[in-house]
Amino acid sequence: MPLTGSDLPLPLKSTLPFGLAACPGARHFGLAGSIVLVTALALLVVGCASTPKQPALTLTGNALVDGPKAIEQGPPKDKVLWQYRTATAALRTGDFELARRMLDEALLNIGGIIANDKEARKARGYFNREARKTFIGEPYERVMAYIYRGMLYWQDGEPDNARACFRSAALIDSDTENREYAADWVLVDYLDGLATAKLGGDGSDAFKRAQASAKGVKLPAYRPDFNVLFFFEFGPGPTKFATGQYGEELRFRVPDSPVVSAELNINGQRYPVAPTDDLGFQATTRGGRAMDHILGNKAVFKTTTGAVGDVALIGGLSTAAMSRDRTAQNVGLGIALAGLASKVISAATTPEADTRAWETLPRYLSFASLPLAPGRHSATVEFRDAAGRTVSNLTKQLAIDVPPGGKDKVILISDQSSTPQTI
Amino acid sequence: MNLKTYLCPMAALTVAGLISGCASSGVKNPSGVPVTEMRADERGFVAGTGMESQDLVAVTDKMARSVLNTPQIASAQGVPRIVLDPVVNETRFPINKEMFLTRIRAQLNSKSQGKVLFLARDRMKTLENERALKQSGQVTSTSDPRVVEFKGADYFLTGTLQSLTTKTSAGTSDYILYTFQLIDARTSDIIWEDMAEMKKQGLEDAAYR
Repeated sequence: MPLTGSDLPLPLKSTLPFGLAACPGARHFGLAGSIVLVTALALLVVGCASTPKQPALTLTGNALVDGPKAIEQGPPKDKVLWQYRTATAALRTGDFELARRMLDEALLNIGGIIANDKEARKARGYFNREARKTFIGEPYERVMAYIYRGMLYWQDGEPDNARACFRSAALIDSDTENREYAADWVLVDYLDGLATAKLGGDGSDAFKRAQASAKGVKLPAYRPDFNVLFFFEFGPGPTKFATGQYGEELRFRVPDSPVVSAELNINGQRYPVAPTDDLGFQATTRGGRAMDHILGNKAVFKTTTGAVGDVALIGGLSTAAMSRDRTAQNVGLGIALAGLASKVISAATTPEADTRAWETLPRYLSFASLPLAPGRHSATVEFRDAAGRTVSNLTKQLAIDVPPGGKDKVILISDQSSTPQTI
Repeated sequence: MNLKTYLCPMAALTVAGLISGCASSGVKNPSGVPVTEMRADERGFVAGTGMESQDLVAVTDKMARSVLNTPQIASAQGVPRIVLDPVVNETRFPINKEMFLTRIRAQLNSKSQGKVLFLARDRMKTLENERALKQSGQVTSTSDPRVVEFKGADYFLTGTLQSLTTKTSAGTSDYILYTFQLIDARTSDIIWEDMAEMKKQGLEDAAYR
């Protein structure tokens, strides 16, 4: 007997989607129609898989080679990630022009307000992974992009634009779940104040904020007349992994660092360098994200639809198998079919957290400033382990050309920097 | 009653559940709120975002008009010479801050009908090289190259960009104050000052919060 609107229990009439009951075609909506509907549903759920895939990139492991290629040919959603990676590789080999370009392009994406974005909306949906969204990174990654760009602005003689970067970095870290950890990057505030002092202003407020975040480390007072600024970074930075029943919980892995301090040797003087900021600490003290809540909802939905599917499948098939009554058998099969649909929906639900990461970031940051006369100076930077021993294969040799005229010289040194370098 | 009777309601229920269910439930404004430009004196729904081309155009148009209405410029005896002194950026937005003064200068040069003139101090090296060539006789000169003809400034045009930022769970809000001054090079008097304000705010998509 064909199904009509009047055959339905009253409450269900109003829940029929798309005016199905009122549609004349519904009169012919029989078993075949139901199967078609369920199949269509299943296709709808998994339909996104039919999106044409771009050919896989062949990576060499060298970000300076892979980065530009991935930015050009890779998925747009990973563009910022590759810009980040290329920028760090460029900074460590002294290719500041490339680093500048990469960071400027990345900041265009991370500096704005991403709203009404189609991919972001899909990433929140049940049937798309979070990693579908355009990557801009977690706050500690975005802060580092601003710090690097700020150092490059300073290097170019634009301390006010450098300060602008440090201020944007501070803002990114200002909305932690636990206020105790809000805007607590030492270097960001310290350099904000130093730039202000160099521009003739009063950087004392920023200095106080930096000192308050420094936790026991006494920061050097500002010396605006010191013309050479050293920015140190060392140790492997945090990476991400997903945990939870479906990998819906984003977590950070902070590996033990083989180096925990450094020493700058220049003109016969030795300057110990203790870390001011720990990216592992910054990554792990942010608290929960709104997206974590969404992924949690996805996980609950996946569990529920899976459980409903199990119950309906087992119950329906059991009823169909054990009953001798034709009607009961049909009902049992119907329930089993609905259970199958629920299982398909559950399988298509993707609560996995996005674990894409700027894995070339350092663990520790530090800073030093010195007065150096114009001309060439030779410097050595040694990196030390927890026992204070020099990790000899990480020692860097630098030839520093200090310009005349009092312009600041900014030097970025990483334990991963190429050596020797003339800066 | 038969199988068809049960299949359709179940399928319908599944569809309804699929449509009504949303992983973003419990998150306020999951799609975010697009950046909205507002009047500086308008109360916003969060208490901030960056400088864009329309702001630059609006601010520099206003400043150029305002400079021309200054009595010292409008009724000056002779043509005042102005030198640009770099704008100071105190905001949280790294920008090419020279664009502000460049556009004000271009507006004044094109619209003031010669009421003011700007000195090309940013080209001094090139100008000095040319003068040296003339003085050494390596190139011709229409006047005595030993006489200093580079003009001194009557006024300096400069400015400051400042911002106030608020970030809460409701979004990010940025107020930007643009102030520009004309400073008498002889007396250090600020003979003209004007300002413009912008306030922008927005909330990011929950996928980024």
